[in-house]
Amino acid sequence: MIKSSDLDPNFKYEISNEPGGENIKKCFNCTGCTVGCPVTEIDKSYNPRMILRKALLGMRKEVLSDDSLWLCASCYICYERCPQDVKITEVIGAIRAIAQREAKAGKIKITNNKPLFDHLFIDSVKSNGKWYEAGVSGTFMLKTKGIGGAIGYAPMGLELFMKGKLSILPHKIKGTEEIKRIFEEVEKK
Amino acid sequence: MKLAYYPGCTLHGTAREYDASTKVVCKAAGVDLVEIDDWNCCGALEAIFDKELSMGLSARNNFKAQKTGLDLVIPCSICSHNLSRADTALKNDEAFRIKIERALGEKYKGVKIKHLLDVMVNDIGIDAISGKFTKSLKGIKAVAYYGCLLVRPSEVSKFDNPENPMSLDNLIKSTGADCLPFMQKTKCCGGNLLMSKQDYAFLLTKKLFDEAKAAGANCVVVACPMCHMLLDGQQSTIEKAHNTVIDMPILYFTQLIGLALGISEKELELDKNMVSTSKLIGSIGKGETKVEVKGATTDMAKAEEAEAAK
Repeated sequence: MIKSSDLDPNFKYEISNEPGGENIKKCFNCTGCTVGCPVTEIDKSYNPRMILRKALLGMRKEVLSDDSLWLCASCYICYERCPQDVKITEVIGAIRAIAQREAKAGKIKITNNKPLFDHLFIDSVKSNGKWYEAGVSGTFMLKTKGIGGAIGYAPMGLELFMKGKLSILPHKIKGTEEIKRIFEEVEKK
Repeated sequence: MKLAYYPGCTLHGTAREYDASTKVVCKAAGVDLVEIDDWNCCGALEAIFDKELSMGLSARNNFKAQKTGLDLVIPCSICSHNLSRADTALKNDEAFRIKIERALGEKYKGVKIKHLLDVMVNDIGIDAISGKFTKSLKGIKAVAYYGCLLVRPSEVSKFDNPENPMSLDNLIKSTGADCLPFMQKTKCCGGNLLMSKQDYAFLLTKKLFDEAKAAGANCVVVACPMCHMLLDGQQSTIEKAHNTVIDMPILYFTQLIGLALGISEKELELDKNMVSTSKLIGSIGKGETKVEVKGATTDMAKAEEAEAAK
């Protein structure tokens, strides 16, 4: 049962104020997003229409702490087909941003590993200007699967290395100061 | 034709054969590539939770490309999407442009950005490039896999139909290879879930293989290093996870075009693909071989069987 007293009527405005979330209020819940979704095809419980409907109703905590928020593969099929130009892939990104802030403030717990990988990736770009594949993948495996997971990743890493496809050390660009300034500018919201 | 070139991180790493084959094929096609100076990562799909950061990281490369005074070509579908989106935002969103101009200390006017497949098909042209072919690739039975960002969203990628693109199909056919109908051509390989939800990524990729095999393909041709990472790089892991044999070579379209241009396998770095390409190369020129339709379960394969029976 949905209790109206549990709903947060401001949630849709919170999302629409986030970069990428601007069009969420245009959604009229036609289900076009879900019909063509490749993730829905392999997991019927993944339902982008439901995420949007819950968000519009104001079911804030439920949307932000639901694991399905992290299952979108960013394939843009729904974005392409949406008759209301909701830009769903970007709306999901905007909701993810809110969820990460809430998790940082200790208000919700995110169990999915997607934000961990994304942040390791972005941190490596912040310090080097390019993504550091061996370092990021190794750290991610170690953090999520322990030493056994990291060792499990080693044979593929070695094969890539032997083919000259994986560098042990990060490549640093010359303009890392410019990268730092871009981070500073976009963080001033 | 002279173009600025943004390879992106993967082309200097796991997709090195895409970089190598892009360079030799462009040279043969009379396209001069000028790699932009000191480029950085576009943020890939990992910065999606922060739209401004994603576009800001990409934007620095647009500024670098602008200095060359040339149009910019990008072989990676994700990089191409990100840099194109950043160009639009820099032109239309003044607040964003001011932030990035302040960070970089330069003004932005704009850069024309194209995916390499778009350049090959629409600027060089299939007739012009195929006029230089020295070898028919008859014997190769390919499916063209476009994946996601190469043709979607159409507000960013405008060169082909987002639902049923044909540019790669037509390019493949021009080499003398067969290009088979492929319903999954724009479905997602799950690349963005590879690290966080590997079982889902593998299920999505496996669906592509199931249909490619049912169609009778002996290779899949791609135009994105992320698709290649899943289909080629992860193929042996998918085989283990699903206790099956896939054994499907995955070529970058530049490797395929390179073969038709008579460029050596070594220069196209066909030995760098994780799934061996030697059996496929051996099938070139072998003429009509009977296509085995083992385990054909898709409706399309059934329809084709019915068609053949008529």
